[in-house]
Amino acid sequence: MHTNGNPIVRVQNLHKWFGLLHVLRGISLEVYPQEVVVIIGRSGSGKSTFLRCLNLLEEPTSGRIEIDGIVVEAANGELLPESRARARDLRLKTGMVFQDFNVFPHKTTLENVIEAPIVVKGVPKEQAVEKARELLRKVGLLDKQDVHPIRLSGGQKQRIAIARALAMEPKVMLFDEPTSALDPELIGEVLAVMKDLALEGTTMIVVTHEMGFAHEVADRVIYMEGGVLVEEGPPDQIFTCPQDPRTRQFLARIIESGRLV
Amino acid sequence: MEVTNAPLSPESDPDLAVGLALVRKARRARLIETAKVGVVWLVLLALLTAGLLQLRFSPQYVFQHADFVLRGVGTTIGVSVVSILIASVLALFGALGRLSRNPIAQGISSFYISVIRGTPLLIQVYFIYLGLPQIGQQLKALGYPQLANVFTLTEIQSGILALSLNYGAYMTEIFRAGLQAVGHGQYEAAAALGMTRWQMLRRIILPQAIRVIIPDVGNQFIAMQKDSALVSLMGVWEITFRANRLARKDSRFIEMLLVAATLYWILTIVSSWLQSRLEKRMAHAYER
Ligand SMILES: Nc1ncnc2c1ncn2[C@@H]1O[C@H](COP(=O)(O)OP(=O)(O)OP(=O)(O)O)[C@@H](O)[C@H]1O
Ligand SMILES: [Mg+2]
Repeated sequence: MHTNGNPIVRVQNLHKWFGLLHVLRGISLEVYPQEVVVIIGRSGSGKSTFLRCLNLLEEPTSGRIEIDGIVVEAANGELLPESRARARDLRLKTGMVFQDFNVFPHKTTLENVIEAPIVVKGVPKEQAVEKARELLRKVGLLDKQDVHPIRLSGGQKQRIAIARALAMEPKVMLFDEPTSALDPELIGEVLAVMKDLALEGTTMIVVTHEMGFAHEVADRVIYMEGGVLVEEGPPDQIFTCPQDPRTRQFLARIIESGRLV
Repeated sequence: MEVTNAPLSPESDPDLAVGLALVRKARRARLIETAKVGVVWLVLLALLTAGLLQLRFSPQYVFQHADFVLRGVGTTIGVSVVSILIASVLALFGALGRLSRNPIAQGISSFYISVIRGTPLLIQVYFIYLGLPQIGQQLKALGYPQLANVFTLTEIQSGILALSLNYGAYMTEIFRAGLQAVGHGQYEAAAALGMTRWQMLRRIILPQAIRVIIPDVGNQFIAMQKDSALVSLMGVWEITFRANRLARKDSRFIEMLLVAATLYWILTIVSSWLQSRLEKRMAHAYER
């Protein structure tokens, strides 16, 4: 299945401590271009921390992260000096979508999307607007371009956040439970946008509890527990015949609660 | 349930009629309350005036010379406006210093705040007015005339410097609270988009923090207009200085102090009114 050449994301032996808490315990992962990787696992297993380490919102305690040729290494709780200088380059390779949207409330929908391209990348305004409108059409919000987020639903805000991240043309999109804060009737519209992105060949790492989405869209599903990647495989294999007892137990509980479609 | 698109009217909707009546009644009650308070104010003012007239207080003198004091209002407002602007800049950097992880920034800002908050404004005024020229003279004696010039300020410059430095330190807390009131998620979203700390601050955090900060800065401005009376000690021709000057010359202390007090009072009332209007407008700032 990894027909797309070299991995675009390469994580090696990533560790993260919060004080005395050893949250990530040696994670290694390779993600290939155009691949959709879904990470599942119970609360507190370190999924968010892992995603946040990938764009250095959290600094890893030790380990190596490489995204599209940008390498950042940490040891003994610190980024290596030459890695620190590359921190922002690494960030620009990723786009992040948060559980609670974090759209900019003082900016309109369009302004949310053009802000970073103009300010960070120095894209001329007309060009940024043109690109933003294209993205807003894609996420179905072109008619809301002049509205402030306070007037929008959670699903609409999350779609702004996705367009905002895409506007920076990242190599990898990181989604941290993008639908967990949404009312059930709004989840579908966000998942639909994500599915479109996947079909277009966007490389994505998605943390989610939406097992239906994982089953349908993921190329690879990873079960995470206690700060390690326990088991990985194509969705059919993970959902129908998981090998590790921990994965089996987790899925059994999810089936019980009726969340596995 | 039946849904109609006809506009609701009190005739067609008994609930609406009851609601409207209640709202009207509450509004009338509030108006009457306000009127009563107003009457009490008028009575107090009348009593005060009557009392003063008993004491050989001369209204003629007030009317003849109020003009002289009135001409200081512009100076008072000017000094206060410029000072609050400089103080806001100092407070912003003070707050950034306190929130920063850089030990130099943290050290400078905590030192500044500690010194200013730990000493009386009056001492600071004297220090700037009397102390700085002394430093200037000594620098000149040491052979640094250019540097000495920096320490030689006009009265107005000294006044603005004293007020700005003092208020800047106190307002640091306001700016810090404002910056911290912006949710953590906003910082993270901006960082994830690759913004530098400065871009984040300027484009994302400050515009949101301003909403929290403005009302408090307004309060500080209102307080400063009155503290600016202290710069009369430096010979700035503002309200207090002018009132004091006439009062001493003609021994009309009550008259002139009353004029000055009234002017400050009016300034405060007008500023408060402007501030409440600004706050109302800002409450709708994100809506269209
Ligand atoms: N900034 C932090 N400081 C201290 N501890 C933290 C911090 N962030 C996360 N943790 C701890 O690290 C562990 C992993 O947290 P993380 O948020 O990565 O889990 P998660 O798998 O995303 O869980 P959830 O499904 O609830 O989002 C938890 O025990 C959490 O309390
Ligand atoms: Mg999480």
